[in-house]
Amino acid sequence: MNVKIGMLSYAHMHAYSYAACLKQIADASSVGVELVGIADDNPVRGQEAASQFDTRFFLSAETLLEQKLDGIIICAENARHRPLTEMAAPRTPHILCEKPIATTLADAQAMIDVCATHGTKLQIAFPVRFSPPVQQLKAILDEGTLGRIYSVKTTNHGRMPGGWFVDQALAGGGAVIDHSVHVIDLLRWFWNTEITEVYAEVGHSLLHPDLGIDDAGLLSFKLAIGAYGTLDTSWSRPESYPTWGDVRLEVLGERGIVRVDAFNQNLALYSDQTGKGQWVHWGSNPDLSLIQDFVDMIATGREPFITGYDGLKALEVALAAYRSAERGEPVSLPL
Amino acid sequence: MKQVGIIGAGLTGAMHAERWTQLPVELAGFYVRTAERAQAAAQRYGGCAFSSLEALLAEVDVVDVCTPTSSHKELVLAAAAAGKDIICEKPLARRLGEAKEMIAACKAAGVRLLVGHVVRFFPEYARAKEILDSGRLGRPGVIRTVRGGNFPAPDAHNWYADFEQSGGVIMDMLIHDIDYVRWCFGDVATVFARGLTFSDVLDADHVLLTVRFQNGAIGHLEGSWAYPPGNFRTRLEIAGDEGLLEVDSLDTLPLSVTLKQEGTEMAAGVPVPESPMHPNDDPYYREIAHFLACLESGNDSLVSPQDGLEAVRIALAAIESLRTGGPVDVAAFDGE
Repeated sequence: MNVKIGMLSYAHMHAYSYAACLKQIADASSVGVELVGIADDNPVRGQEAASQFDTRFFLSAETLLEQKLDGIIICAENARHRPLTEMAAPRTPHILCEKPIATTLADAQAMIDVCATHGTKLQIAFPVRFSPPVQQLKAILDEGTLGRIYSVKTTNHGRMPGGWFVDQALAGGGAVIDHSVHVIDLLRWFWNTEITEVYAEVGHSLLHPDLGIDDAGLLSFKLAIGAYGTLDTSWSRPESYPTWGDVRLEVLGERGIVRVDAFNQNLALYSDQTGKGQWVHWGSNPDLSLIQDFVDMIATGREPFITGYDGLKALEVALAAYRSAERGEPVSLPL
Repeated sequence: MKQVGIIGAGLTGAMHAERWTQLPVELAGFYVRTAERAQAAAQRYGGCAFSSLEALLAEVDVVDVCTPTSSHKELVLAAAAAGKDIICEKPLARRLGEAKEMIAACKAAGVRLLVGHVVRFFPEYARAKEILDSGRLGRPGVIRTVRGGNFPAPDAHNWYADFEQSGGVIMDMLIHDIDYVRWCFGDVATVFARGLTFSDVLDADHVLLTVRFQNGAIGHLEGSWAYPPGNFRTRLEIAGDEGLLEVDSLDTLPLSVTLKQEGTEMAAGVPVPESPMHPNDDPYYREIAHFLACLESGNDSLVSPQDGLEAVRIALAAIESLRTGGPVDVAAFDGE
């Protein structure tokens, strides 16, 4: 089988990584994979990407969607996930949509509904589920090694990404919506559980003067399994920091603690050309496993590993965090 | 030379005694309710074993209170009434009202009250504060701390595990970082805590504390008495709008020794952080030497009595948050 993939928008920088992964899979896999083309409402950006990944640029999304694609990858601004999904669902049987699924629960539900109506499979891009250290933690938890789980302390720090990520209308929020959903998805997946309550301290322009949107967030939450936890979503890594950020998870149970620093497999590089120390990651690339999983889903016809509902539930926690910060009190879930 | 008397001969009493012996003072001796413990300490560090508190107070210029938290008030009031300068181990008191009473009594008696918030004297924490104050991180934004070890092992004198005496992991251990973050970022507006203190888990205590400072910055503090033995860890991270600072005891070990174990035994008492240092850079030495210099010069201490009180207030507000499940306004908090 030759799996034909298209890409809608390169607004989100993960698009470049996903395209590189598609190329890598096409080169190495027995399953044929073809990046048929790229559509982007920013033609300069789209044409450059098409040229970089040796594929066609389409002026309109509709034209790309007429190419009898097996799957489409949507890396548009968060608020545009819904219109693009609604456009793609009747024409393409498989959609991989960048996180967060949308900026409102109504949009997220509409995306799930339109895909259900057309029998289109919708997968959300939560690549950290494919991180080998994270998968090893999941296995340890599945074995019950820690006994009763008391708490889970987590961080997903990063650099301030700028651009549309700091535009409320397009992103739906700043650091909290950008960085809550990855870890919240992991916690739901680890224990097949839900977050039942969220309290949040959200910082606006705290680390970046005049940014005009939240750039720091601390979520304190309860899980239905009876544990409590926290998540730091802050864009607190300066440009001079040696890496982009982190995903750190510490699970405390009655028999001990497991600590995961998912992107800690780095070598330290000091080059006078950059003027700062840099960490160069040599661990496995979770994006590659995410894209491989999407291709496998198409090739085998199985159900998505990460569903639209997973995307919606992670988004709900981020939105609850904003609501808690506004009200200054814990917010119960579901909203 | 000043005559120093130590009340208590547990973990802190022994650590302080060792440093006093390195300083130009006369270690007069120890008073401990259990006479044999005073004798053992006197034998090891010098001085005598006093048979009563009054006997100690009659002999000394400086009283170093190293007893369980719940006894601080009574001892400090007695020392103040006797006109002695006082060093009081953290937390200043178990209750807010007690702290207020102690500060008022010392003021009225004209004696010094020096509160042992030793983390301010740890070289890495002191250096981090210097860097923050130098402006190299820009405006303070997010501060994160970790302080964690095993649950205090039960022994004959195990009072740490008794919430009434110690106030649990928040009051006994997290208060180190509470004082430190307040020193760095200023007064705290709101606290929100989740933890095991009031859960059905009896052999562990743990808290994740979220803090909003009055200047708008935010903080996250972990205090743990829930790790397996031998895993003590401290961590500090300060993010500003122009930089970030991180230090982790696990990443900055200049020496590690791992031996085959014949089965893990719980160490008595609570774990204490340490890293190989020149004796003059040892944090407990720096703390005691600073206190001595304050007493001799009359200069202000790095830790004011009010600092000690405010740390107790924040810790109690955090405990209140654990109880109520909601955020607690620290400035308005005056509870017990």
